[in-house]
Amino acid sequence: MEIVVCVKPVPDAETRLRATSDGTRLDPEGVKFVLAGYDESAVEQALLLKESIAGSRVHVVAFGPAPRTEEVLRATIALGADQATWVDSGADAGAEPVRAARAIAGAIASAPHDLVLCGKQANDDESGLVPAALGELLRVPEFSCVVDLRWDSATSRFRFQRPIETGVESWSAPAPLVVGLQQAWNDPRTAKLPAILKSRKAAIGKVAAASASSESRVVAERFELPPPRTGAKLIEYKTPEDAAQQLVRILREEAKVFP
Amino acid sequence: MTPNALVVGELHDGHLAASTLEVIGVARALAGGAVAGLVLGAGAKAAASEFGRFGVPEAYALDDPHLDAAPAGARAAPVAATAREVGASLLLTASTTAGRDLLGRLAVAWDAAVATGVTEATAFEGGVRVRRPVFGGRATETIRLEGSRVAIATRPHAFAAVAESPVPCVVHEVPAPVLSEAYTAPQRTGVAVTARGAGPSLTDASIVVSGGRGVRAPENFRLVEELAASLGAAVGASRAVTDAGWRPTSFQVGQTGRAVSPQLYIAVGISGAIQHIVGMVSSRVIVAINSDASAPIFRVADYGIVGDLFQIVPALTAEVRRVRGA
Amino acid sequence: MPDFSLTPEQESLRDLARKFARAEMAPQAAECDRIGRFPEEIYRKAYELGLMNLNVPTEYGGSGLGVVDQCLIVEELAHACGGMTTSVIANCLALEPILLGGTPAQKERILSPFCAKYQLASFCLTEPSGGSDAGGLKTRARKDGDQYVLDGEKCFITNAPHASLYTVFATVDPELRHKGITAFVVPRSAAGVTPGKDEEKMGHRASSTSTVRFEGVRVPATDRLGAEGEGFSLAMRTLDQTRTPIGALATGIAQAALDHAAAYALKRQTFGKPIAEHQAIQIKLANMAQAVHAARLLTWHAAWTIDHGAKGTLESSIAKCFASDAALEVADEAIQTFGGYGYMKAYPVEKLLRDAKLTQIYEGANEIQRTVIARELLQKYA
Repeated sequence: MEIVVCVKPVPDAETRLRATSDGTRLDPEGVKFVLAGYDESAVEQALLLKESIAGSRVHVVAFGPAPRTEEVLRATIALGADQATWVDSGADAGAEPVRAARAIAGAIASAPHDLVLCGKQANDDESGLVPAALGELLRVPEFSCVVDLRWDSATSRFRFQRPIETGVESWSAPAPLVVGLQQAWNDPRTAKLPAILKSRKAAIGKVAAASASSESRVVAERFELPPPRTGAKLIEYKTPEDAAQQLVRILREEAKVFP
Repeated sequence: MTPNALVVGELHDGHLAASTLEVIGVARALAGGAVAGLVLGAGAKAAASEFGRFGVPEAYALDDPHLDAAPAGARAAPVAATAREVGASLLLTASTTAGRDLLGRLAVAWDAAVATGVTEATAFEGGVRVRRPVFGGRATETIRLEGSRVAIATRPHAFAAVAESPVPCVVHEVPAPVLSEAYTAPQRTGVAVTARGAGPSLTDASIVVSGGRGVRAPENFRLVEELAASLGAAVGASRAVTDAGWRPTSFQVGQTGRAVSPQLYIAVGISGAIQHIVGMVSSRVIVAINSDASAPIFRVADYGIVGDLFQIVPALTAEVRRVRGA
Repeated sequence: MPDFSLTPEQESLRDLARKFARAEMAPQAAECDRIGRFPEEIYRKAYELGLMNLNVPTEYGGSGLGVVDQCLIVEELAHACGGMTTSVIANCLALEPILLGGTPAQKERILSPFCAKYQLASFCLTEPSGGSDAGGLKTRARKDGDQYVLDGEKCFITNAPHASLYTVFATVDPELRHKGITAFVVPRSAAGVTPGKDEEKMGHRASSTSTVRFEGVRVPATDRLGAEGEGFSLAMRTLDQTRTPIGALATGIAQAALDHAAAYALKRQTFGKPIAEHQAIQIKLANMAQAVHAARLLTWHAAWTIDHGAKGTLESSIAKCFASDAALEVADEAIQTFGGYGYMKAYPVEKLLRDAKLTQIYEGANEIQRTVIARELLQKYA
C-alpha cells in the first residue's frame, strides 16, 4: 500500500507567540517549528499500517518554507517514513490552508496514493480544511475526524470510526481515500537517537509549488494575542473550608461566574 | 458588496439545528441582498420551510436519504450548484465537522475564499473580514476573504441565534446528484448516538469540572462528579485519566479530546500538560486545585488553591451546596 | 571566533532528550525522590531510545556521541531529575575504561553483547577507606596462573545493585601505590561478587548506590584492561572524559532551579505585586542566571576542547567544579526565593539543593578539582 502523509511545520506548543511589527501575522523569528500534533498521529498511523500490511511504503509530503519544512520532514524520516517530499512555498509562509492543499495535491496527484493521511487540523490555524480540499482536488472521498483506522485485507477495505457532534459513525471504504486523522491506535512514537542521526543524511525530494490560479484570496490582516495570563491568584487559607468559602465568594463577586 | 447569501443548514431531529439559527443571523447581518437557505438529507424538504420562521423567504431542499450515509464530499457539487443558481457570493454554514468538510470542498468546487471557526464577521467592499481564534485560543487572527465567492463557517455558540420573524418561504427542490462510484463505494456501517449523562454535555456546558491524575484512583473520581453536580456542571477529564481507563475517552478535554470554552473551568488534580491546556485555555475563568504549586496549570488559571484535593474538593462541594441552598 | 550555535543535528538530539525528560522522567521525579525508588522502567526506555550508552561507538552498539553532544543530552535529562540522570549516564563512566584501555578484541567481546540489550554497568574505584586518594586503594588482585583473584570492597558505587557488569580497579601490589593499580572487567555473575544493600541518600534518591564486595573472585587475565599497573592512569583518563558531563548535569539542575524560581516570582504576590517586581528578587534571579549561563559555557568549552582531541583536564575540572558550585548556589537561592514554601517538600526546589550537593562530591570532589586546577595552573608559571 502506498501511504502519503501530509504534514505541516507549526510552532512548538510552548513557543511564546508574538505578532510581526506590522501586526498582521505570527512573527516566525526565534520560533521553534515542529510537526503539528495531529500530523504526528497521522505519521504514527501510517507507520502502524505499514507495519501491518506487507509491501507498504510511507511517503511524507509537506508544503512550506525553508528550513522548517525540511526539518519536520527529516523528523518523519527518523520516525520511519520511507520517502519525503518538500513542496517549497518560497517566500510564502505556507499558512493559507487551501493554497497548501493545492500545492500538495499538485505534488502527489501523479505519485501513487492508496491512502492520503492528514492530521484533522493543524495546531496553528486550526482550519481543518486541507483533508476536504485535498479530497476534492484528487477527486477522492475524504473523511475527517477519523479514529481507529484499520485495513481489512479480507474485503480490501479500510474500516474506521468518526466521532461527530452527535455520536460515533462506523465506516468502511475502499482505497483510494483521504483521511483527516484525529487519533492513531497508539501514542505517536519517539524517534530513537540512532535514527535521528541517520535521518540527517537522508535525501529529501524538493519540488516547486504550482502557482495558484484562483481569483479568491485570503489576506492576513491582524494577529492578536490576548493579554498574557499572569498566573493564578493563589488563595491563602487556614482550613479547606476557609479555602472553599473564599473561592466561592471570589467566583460570585469578583469573577461573577457562579451559577 | 451587496451579496446574495446562501445558508447551508444542518438538521437535528428533523429540524434546523441550533447552530444553523446562529448562521442565519450572521447571514442576515452580512448580506446586502437576499438570503436563501439550503438543507440536505432525509427530511430536508420539511425542515427547509422552517427557514421562513427566521425571516428567510427562499429555501432549497435536497431531500435524499442517501446523502446522510454518503461521504461528505457528495454534498459539494449540489451545494456549489445551488450557490450558483441563487447567485450567491457568500455562503455560510456552522463550523461543525460537516461544515468544515463542506468548506474544504467548496474552496475548490466553488473556487471560494474560505474560513472556518469564525467568531466575528463583517462585510466590506470586495469581501468579508473575519476574526477567528487560532493556536487553541492563544491568539486571534483577522483575515480578509476577497473575491466574488466567499464561504465562512461560524463557530457554534459564538453568535446569538436569530430571533423568529416569520415570512412566507418558498421551498425549491434540488435534484439529487448522480454520485460517481468513488462516492457510493464507502459504506456507513453504523451510527452510535452518544448516551448523555445526567449533566450537560461537555461542549454545551457553561461550567466544566475536570479531574486529572491527582485524583489517584477511579473510585475517587466521584469527588469531581459531586462537585460538578453541585454546580450543574459537565464532567471532564485529563488524558491521564482516560488513558488509564478511569473514564471513557468521551470525557477527555484537550488536544486529542474535546476543546471546551465554558464560563468557568475547574481543574482538579490536573498538572496542566500543554496537551490539556490547549483544550481549555479559552475558558473565561479557570480555577486550579492542585497539591503541586509549581504545576503548569497555575500559569493559565485565574485562581488557584494549592492543597490536598481530597480535603479541598469535598469542602468546596459542601460550600457550593450551602450557598445554592441545595 | 568560536561558534556557539548548535547544528540541526544537535538541536534534534537535545529535543529528544528534552522530550524524554519531560514525558518520562519529570512526572516520576518527586515520587521517586520521596520514597527512594529506582525507576528501572524509565532507564529501560532511556536505553531503548539510545540515551544510555552515549559514548560507546556505534560499531559496538552505542550512540557514538562526542562530549558536546553528551552534554546537551545530560543537561536536558538533569533538568527533570539529577538522580535519574546519574543512573542513566553511569554506563558511560563504567564503560569508558574499556573504550580507552580495551583491545579491539576486548571491546568486541565485551561491549557488543553488553550494549545489545538494556543492561547497567558500574565503575568501581572508590573504597570505604577513601575515594579521592585513588592511589591508596586496598582491593587486591593476586595473579594465579592465567587468572587473577580479586578481594576487597568498593563503596558508593552507582547502580551497583542492578548492574550486570563492573569495571573494577584493584592493586597487584599495595607497595607500588599508583603503579600497582590494574583495571578489570568483572561480570556480576562471577562467583564471589556481592553488591550491598541500597544506601539511603540525601539526594539522587532515584539512583541506586551500594557497596560491592569481591571475595576470591576469579577473573581471567583476558578481562584485564591494559597492562598491570596501568589502572591508575586509565581511571584518570576515564574521569577526564566523564567529568564534563557532570558539569552539564549540574547545569541542568541549576537551570531547573532558576526556572522554578523565576516562574514562582512572577506568580507570588507580596506587598500588592508579584515578588518578581521587587528588586531584591530581581537581583537574585539575575545572579542565578549569570551562574547558570557561565556553568553552561564552561561546560560546552571543556566538551569542545575534548572533542577537538585535547585531554582537557584543566578545562573539565574548571567546568565540573564551577558548575557544581553554581548548582548548589542557584538551588539555594531558588529556595530563598520561594521563602518558607521552598523549605517544604511539596515544592520542587529543596530536592534540587539535595541533588546539587552530590555534584560537588562525586566524580572527583571539588577539593580535588581545585588541586588539579592549581597544579595545571602553576605548571605554567614554574
